[in-house]
Amino acid sequence: MYLQFIFSFLATLGFSILFNIPQKSIIKASFVGGCGWIAFVYWRESFGSLIAASFVGASVVAIISEIFARKFKETVTVFVIPGIIPLVPGAGMYYAMLAAMEKDFSKFAIVGSETLFMAGGIAAAILLVSSIAKMFFEFKKSRKNRDQ
Amino acid sequence: MNSREKDVLVMALYAGEIMLKNGAETYRVEDTVMRICKAYKISYVESFVTPTGIFVSVDCRENGGDVLTFIKRIVERTIDLNKISKVNDFSRKVSSSFLSIEEALEILKKIDHLPKYPKFLKIFGAATASSFFGVMLGATYSDFISVLITSICIYISISFTEKLNSNFFIQNLFGGAIAAFIAILSIHIGVGIHLDKIIISSIMILVPGVAITNAVRDYISGDLLSGAARTAEAFIVAIAIAVGAGAVMNTWIYIFGGI
Repeated sequence: MYLQFIFSFLATLGFSILFNIPQKSIIKASFVGGCGWIAFVYWRESFGSLIAASFVGASVVAIISEIFARKFKETVTVFVIPGIIPLVPGAGMYYAMLAAMEKDFSKFAIVGSETLFMAGGIAAAILLVSSIAKMFFEFKKSRKNRDQ
Repeated sequence: MNSREKDVLVMALYAGEIMLKNGAETYRVEDTVMRICKAYKISYVESFVTPTGIFVSVDCRENGGDVLTFIKRIVERTIDLNKISKVNDFSRKVSSSFLSIEEALEILKKIDHLPKYPKFLKIFGAATASSFFGVMLGATYSDFISVLITSICIYISISFTEKLNSNFFIQNLFGGAIAAFIAILSIHIGVGIHLDKIIISSIMILVPGVAITNAVRDYISGDLLSGAARTAEAFIVAIAIAVGAGAVMNTWIYIFGGI
C-alpha cells in the first residue's frame, strides 16, 4: 500500500510540473494525489466497485484540497486538478477503443458506460464536496456575524 | 471623457484574459473582472465569460460617462496554474489596497510573461507522471522503461505540433498515434511486455482531466454554457486520442497480421 502511495505521489508530482503549479505547492498537490489514489485502491480492493471507488477517491482529493486551499491561501484548483489525474479512467478509455476496433460492440457498451460512470463519479464527488464546503463556510460566517 | 473607466476596463479584461487563457474556471474569471472593476469604484459591472471569449459591460453614466462594452476573444488555451494563482492574489490585493492603474497593468504584464518551468523539467515531469502511473497500474520494470521513452516522445511531439499553429484535435491525434506506434515497436524490440499498460499510461499526459474538472466546476456555479463547452472539449480530446491510437494499431494489424 505504501508503495502505491509513493508511486501515485510521484505521478502527481510529474503532472504538477506539466501544469505549472507554483513551486511551493508542488509537494502538497502531490500529497493530495497520493491520498486520493490510496482511497481509490482501498475501496476497490475491499468493495470491488470501480465507480464507487472513483467517487470516494475524488471525494478525498476534493476534501483535502478545500482544507489546503484555505490553510495555505491558494486557489482550490491548484490542488484539485493534479490530484484528480491519477483517478481519470484512461484505462477504460483505452479498452473501450480496443473493443470498438475489434467490432465487439457489446463489450464497447459495457466498458464505455463504466468509464463514463467513473468520470461521472469523479465529477459528482468534486461537485458535492465543493458545494458543501461553500455552504459550510457560509454558515460559519453567518454564525460569526450573528455573534458579534 | 471617461478615459479612466476605459483604462480600468482594459486592465480588468487583461486580467481575465490571462486567467482564461491559462485554464481557469469561468466563474473565477467573471469574479475577478467584476472585483477589479468594483475596486476602482465602477458601480455597475456585468461580465459574461465563456471558454472562448470574455464580454464585459460597465455603466458609468453616474460619473458623466457612457455605457462601455468590451469583448475579448480567446483562441488558445493552455494550462498554467501558476498564473491563475498569481492573478487571483493580484485581484485580492487590488481590492484591499489602492494601486494606480499603471502599477496594476505593470504587475499584470509581469504575470503574463512569467516563465513556465524549463523544457527539460517539463519533459522530466511528463516522463515521471506517465511511468509511475504505469507502475500504479501494475506494469513491470521493462514496461517502465518503455513508458518512459514513449511519454518523452509524445511530449516532444506535442510541443512541436503546438509551434506549428495546429489545433488541439491534431495534437492529441498525433499524441495517440505516437503512443501506439512506439509502444508496439518497443514490444517487438523486447522492451516491455504489457502493450495495454504501456499505451494507457503514456496517453495519461494527453487525457483531458483538467477539462473534465473545470466543466464540473462550471456546472456547479451555474455556467451551463461553459460547462457544456468544456465537456465537449473533453470528449473531442478523448476521441482524438482514440482515433490516433486505433488507426496505428489497426494499420499495424493490417500490414503485419497481428501485434
